[in-house]
Amino acid sequence: MDCSERNRPSRNRLTRIDSLVGVIRGLFVCLVVALGAFTDYVAAAEAKDAGLMFKSRDGEPLRAPTLMTEVDIAVTGIIARVRVRQKFYNPTDAWQEGIYVFPLPEQSAVDHMRMKIGVRIVEGQIKEREAARATYESAKQEGRKAALIEQERPNIFTNNVAHIGPNEEVEVQIEYQQKVQSDQGTFRLRFPMVVGSRYIPGTPGETVATGTGWAPDTNAVPDASRITPPVVDRARGDSNPVTIRVDLNAGAALASVGSPYHKINAVKNGDTGYRVSLADGPVPANKDFELVWTPAVERAAKTVVFTETFAGADYALLMVMPPAAQQAAARHIARDAIFIIDTSGSMEGTSIAQAKQALLMALDRLTPDDAFNIVQFNSVTDVLFNSSVTASAANIAKARDYVKALRATGGTEMAPALTAALNNSDNQRVLRQVIFLTDGAVGNEAQLFELIKARLGDSRLFTVGIGSAPNTYFMSKAAQLGRGTYTYIGKVDEVKEKMTRLFTKLESPVVSNLRVTWPADAEAEMWPRQIPDLYLGEPLFVTAKLRKLAGTVLLEGQIGAETWRAEVSTQLASAESGINVLWARDEIESLSDAMRGSKGEDNKQAITDLALHHHLVSKYTSMVAVDVTKTLPNDALTQTSAMPTNLPEGWNYEAVFGTLPQTATSAREQLLLGLLLLAIATLWLLRRPART
Amino acid sequence: MRAYTGSYLAAARGRVLGLLLLAAGAWQFGGGIYIYTKAGLAQHLLKAAWDKTRIDGSATKPWPWADTAPLARLTLPAYGVDLLVLEGSSGRSLAFGPGHITGTALPGERGNSVISAHRDTHFTFLRDVRYGDELSIENARGEVRRYRVTGIAITDKSNLAVLRGTGAARLTLVTCYPFNAISAVGPLRYVVTAERLEGAGAI
Repeated sequence: MDCSERNRPSRNRLTRIDSLVGVIRGLFVCLVVALGAFTDYVAAAEAKDAGLMFKSRDGEPLRAPTLMTEVDIAVTGIIARVRVRQKFYNPTDAWQEGIYVFPLPEQSAVDHMRMKIGVRIVEGQIKEREAARATYESAKQEGRKAALIEQERPNIFTNNVAHIGPNEEVEVQIEYQQKVQSDQGTFRLRFPMVVGSRYIPGTPGETVATGTGWAPDTNAVPDASRITPPVVDRARGDSNPVTIRVDLNAGAALASVGSPYHKINAVKNGDTGYRVSLADGPVPANKDFELVWTPAVERAAKTVVFTETFAGADYALLMVMPPAAQQAAARHIARDAIFIIDTSGSMEGTSIAQAKQALLMALDRLTPDDAFNIVQFNSVTDVLFNSSVTASAANIAKARDYVKALRATGGTEMAPALTAALNNSDNQRVLRQVIFLTDGAVGNEAQLFELIKARLGDSRLFTVGIGSAPNTYFMSKAAQLGRGTYTYIGKVDEVKEKMTRLFTKLESPVVSNLRVTWPADAEAEMWPRQIPDLYLGEPLFVTAKLRKLAGTVLLEGQIGAETWRAEVSTQLASAESGINVLWARDEIESLSDAMRGSKGEDNKQAITDLALHHHLVSKYTSMVAVDVTKTLPNDALTQTSAMPTNLPEGWNYEAVFGTLPQTATSAREQLLLGLLLLAIATLWLLRRPART
Repeated sequence: MRAYTGSYLAAARGRVLGLLLLAAGAWQFGGGIYIYTKAGLAQHLLKAAWDKTRIDGSATKPWPWADTAPLARLTLPAYGVDLLVLEGSSGRSLAFGPGHITGTALPGERGNSVISAHRDTHFTFLRDVRYGDELSIENARGEVRRYRVTGIAITDKSNLAVLRGTGAARLTLVTCYPFNAISAVGPLRYVVTAERLEGAGAI
């Protein structure tokens, strides 16, 4: 409020009384605001002295360790090797245990961890999850430093670091391998920086929380407290600075290198290489980093084969780009397009703007032959039409009005919306395409995957990830189970380009009935076990474990009405390290998928064996590093701190979390104002007779 | 004459102005008094509803148009505090009594039960509460649970860790901070937590 504005008296005598009261009220409000601001300021200053806005039992300040992350990415063709250094610094007087819940790409294969204390380095060992946890806990008991990396989801990990001394830094290095994403001639690599706050459905149980997050464990998400790290409101400033460096060797001359969400410097390095760094130094960990590069058209490789020999077996990674479909696809196929739009609290801010614009674009793209419907959901699900309607001008107009009026608030009860959109239909005449716009900010992924698997029928599910830190694991797995494809939109500027690409895919014939035939004596164990249909511009990625790799691999498939055949000679293969790890990670995914829907954990042993053999972190195996000597003094104060994380960029804190209730009345303000007015009135009335 | 009329009129206007100011002052002052009266009086009306609830065990509305009902009774004999806690923590509930935040454990039950109230009416006493103070909660079945204060903290209104569930039986009392601020809107909250004393059964 502008106080000076309210104080200016009106010159009109008729409104003098009004304005006088107004002036007094204005003055008063200014006074109250000033007083209020002052008391709040004093209180805030007091609270700030108490560390993270909390006083401990004995009044001693509690403060948390800080975290700095350095990421080094080396890209070789279609694979990336990434080293993440998490530097925990303890500015407090107590010995700290830092617990950091952080994201990694969902396809990352974490195969190395080491703890660095000063100049000493302790290598991490892979162990079964419970054994690793026990090793960590006993080291902690003995006063030795230790670090433990556990996997909560394919894209969420927890790092525990015990006994960081006062004013000490402990660095944990995590390394992983991953495949690079490729689509329509461009290559992408994402590095997620923050676990966006997840909505946790279900009822809280009465058990003690298994983690340190803000959500209680529920029947729908039994590990909710492990995937919901504390979040600091943007108003308090950003924390967790991240530095990223990429050594890009695409293997071909590039037409372009860029990063859509961060400013970067890309300096040429050799003939086809680039060195990429953040242009403005470290950035807060509050949105995904993405590097995008496009090879010059004529240089783009159509086939890439990488191999490695590990522990007596051969491993291969194969990428093949099918030819673009013939123009024969001109015949338009009628579609039934069901749009699901997430209007939950986490979408509030820039995300809902992106989603609405994307949906409006999609509506424009429909032709009168098509049918469509819209489903929106937050805590409740709302369906625009009772059943799909033709895309007539009138229906489209109605839908546009509906979309424009959408607002984001409330919970993310996704299951009823998916149930409404996926009806197990089996209709050969029309293509039923479900387009799902969401940030995927939910903790009950497993439940939703089962639902998609059970109800998909003949539909295809296309996920469109919205916002600065989408749940990429949910998006990609949901699309895979839904036999569709996923698209990410990170900012409003991208809506048009990304949605156009998606529509082109929706309207083009797929490469179907794909088969890969390995030489007879290779005894190949291949991933994926069932090759999915490929949409326009998508390459085929295959990893395999083989007894011996030699000879020729035969690929066959159907593009529209045409048959496509290709032969890949393994003579082309180039040796590369870490291919075994990629295959093992993929195999673990296959084994996990096979368990989906069954109550038991049939493949737990197989996954554990595989992960131990290939030194991989998985849901059943963790990496633990323990210092040899005890460093904790006998009389030391120890404390556990859950490392705070940022709210993803563009999110609205209050829309996600709400606030504690407003707990003061206006009584005091009203009484004071009343007294002031009464006093002035009395003075005024008493003054009058004295003058006559 | 004209001058006289003019000054007479001016005097009359001045008096009207004074009276209007008086009225406005009385209105504001009355409004403030009304808030306190409502807060005090409502507790008496709630008493009748609570007695009925205690008898038949079902939530009873204190007056026909009420959108809330008493849920539990909070007492701190040391401070002369005896309050009926209402369902929900909307502004309308809080005008009449402390409100139980929906979704947190029920008062007296295992888990974290969170109750909020205005710092300038029902929860003014919280500023005097100290570690170790005892309080009790009586539920609709007449069971009384005793608690001991184990934590006092000032936090931001966005800090929802305050609402987080727990395996223990905890009572969390929330009000605005600072207590003597004039303005009703502020970002800080005063949080008192109390843990249940085991072995305290029904009276």
